[in-house]
Amino acid sequence: MKVAGLTILSASFVISFNLARADWRFEAETGGVYDSNLSNSDRASDVKDDWAWKADATIANGWQLSRDLRLTLAADLRSRLWARFDALDTIGGGTLARLRYRFGLGSDAPWILLENRIGYDRYRDTAWSNWNESTRLRGGVAVSPRLALELGYEFENRTAPDDFYDLQGHTVDARVIADLTPSWQLALGYSYREGDVVSFAVPPRPDIASISLVRRGPPIFGTNPLYNGYRLTGRTHTVSVSLGYGIARYVSLQFGYEYAVTTHDPLEYENHLVEAKLAFAY
Amino acid sequence: MKRLCAVVLVAVFSLSRELHSGSIEATVRDRTGAPVSDAVVYAIGNGARPAPAKRQAIIDQQNKQFVPYVTAIQMGTAVMFPNKDNIRHHVYSFSPAKRFELPLYTGVPAEPVVFDKVGFVTLGCNIHDWMIAYVAVLPTPYFQVTGKEGRAALKNVPAAQYTIEVWHPLLKGAPENLAQKVDLAAGTKQLVFTLDLKPNFRAKRAPGLSNGGYP
Repeated sequence: MKVAGLTILSASFVISFNLARADWRFEAETGGVYDSNLSNSDRASDVKDDWAWKADATIANGWQLSRDLRLTLAADLRSRLWARFDALDTIGGGTLARLRYRFGLGSDAPWILLENRIGYDRYRDTAWSNWNESTRLRGGVAVSPRLALELGYEFENRTAPDDFYDLQGHTVDARVIADLTPSWQLALGYSYREGDVVSFAVPPRPDIASISLVRRGPPIFGTNPLYNGYRLTGRTHTVSVSLGYGIARYVSLQFGYEYAVTTHDPLEYENHLVEAKLAFAY
Repeated sequence: MKRLCAVVLVAVFSLSRELHSGSIEATVRDRTGAPVSDAVVYAIGNGARPAPAKRQAIIDQQNKQFVPYVTAIQMGTAVMFPNKDNIRHHVYSFSPAKRFELPLYTGVPAEPVVFDKVGFVTLGCNIHDWMIAYVAVLPTPYFQVTGKEGRAALKNVPAAQYTIEVWHPLLKGAPENLAQKVDLAAGTKQLVFTLDLKPNFRAKRAPGLSNGGYP
């Protein structure tokens, strides 16, 4: 199913190369990300943090189908290289189709979009490698010339050769984006996710094992001590703050911080995520 | 003999026109003293208003930008909006002085847009939100847009009393607040205008924290 979807999306994208009046856009970003709890561990002694260099690129092609309706097809590549836990090094790609409808003329008109992305991420530890699909429904409205509000829903589905790593999740989120100055933007967000998570801990953990599927000893975080992976359904509340600074006509700097708490009684763990990146769009 | 008389008459007429016209050189700065480009300097005669112009102007769309950013025209001018990109644009204005829409098109629209009311018009593109331009529709044929050095020169302005005003897309307040009265005779009047400008919050082309579904 995913292969078929991916094929259709890829074919549409290739065909679009030959169509006139396409509106090309190339986007790329690179930077660093830090995760204070990459292992999603609840005990301080088990927590493994790490930072990664990331580089993503997207080429997109858009068509204005009518005054209000826009179709976008895009292909992307994304990568992560972790400083210590290189089993999680990733390279992946995907294709995306998006329909956006704007309720009226001009940049202040409310909009809604439906988006589907199908991709494949290859991990150095291939047990993690997966086909993934996400479907997003998102809307936005300009509250004032300097303030916008966005609401969204996303369903994500990952399928791996080892079904222990098959993960699904539903996320709803809200964001407020403000232009602080002509160059600085601030975004504040909140999201709630309910779905599968994998938490790592040094066994024995009968308390978590009783509520989860257990994978013994994946060597992601080393072998001494050996961690177990526990897959369970978690509820994650995340608050985020992002800052963007326009450096030049096509380039901006972006900084982000997220604080996430994931729970499934008795398990509870926290992540602090920090990101700094340089973004380019033409 | 008749031809000689005609030549002399034309020469005298031209000379007298030269003697009865002057120039206005304006320097436009912001509060920090920096030169202000894209400011429209215009002279409104204190007598009868001139008839609407039968002129044409052009505002291009190139590389997903309007060119020029600011255009000054006399009321009645017809403006063409050729699209020099190989993609479609959708030009619109909500401004009271001229509401119009040029739905999705490439190339040159069949008809120009006639700006028949005095005022300041903001243009946008419905596809590329960062595409913004301005048209100053003026009740006078005497105007110029400042360049990078913040200077404008209005030449061959007939001798009379004028009110000189300056407008800029980011101007705080009305242009009338900056008005300077000039009694223009032969020669050049030098004027300096200092503008209070608002921060420029126009949509950016650089990637932001939200792309609003574009591309």
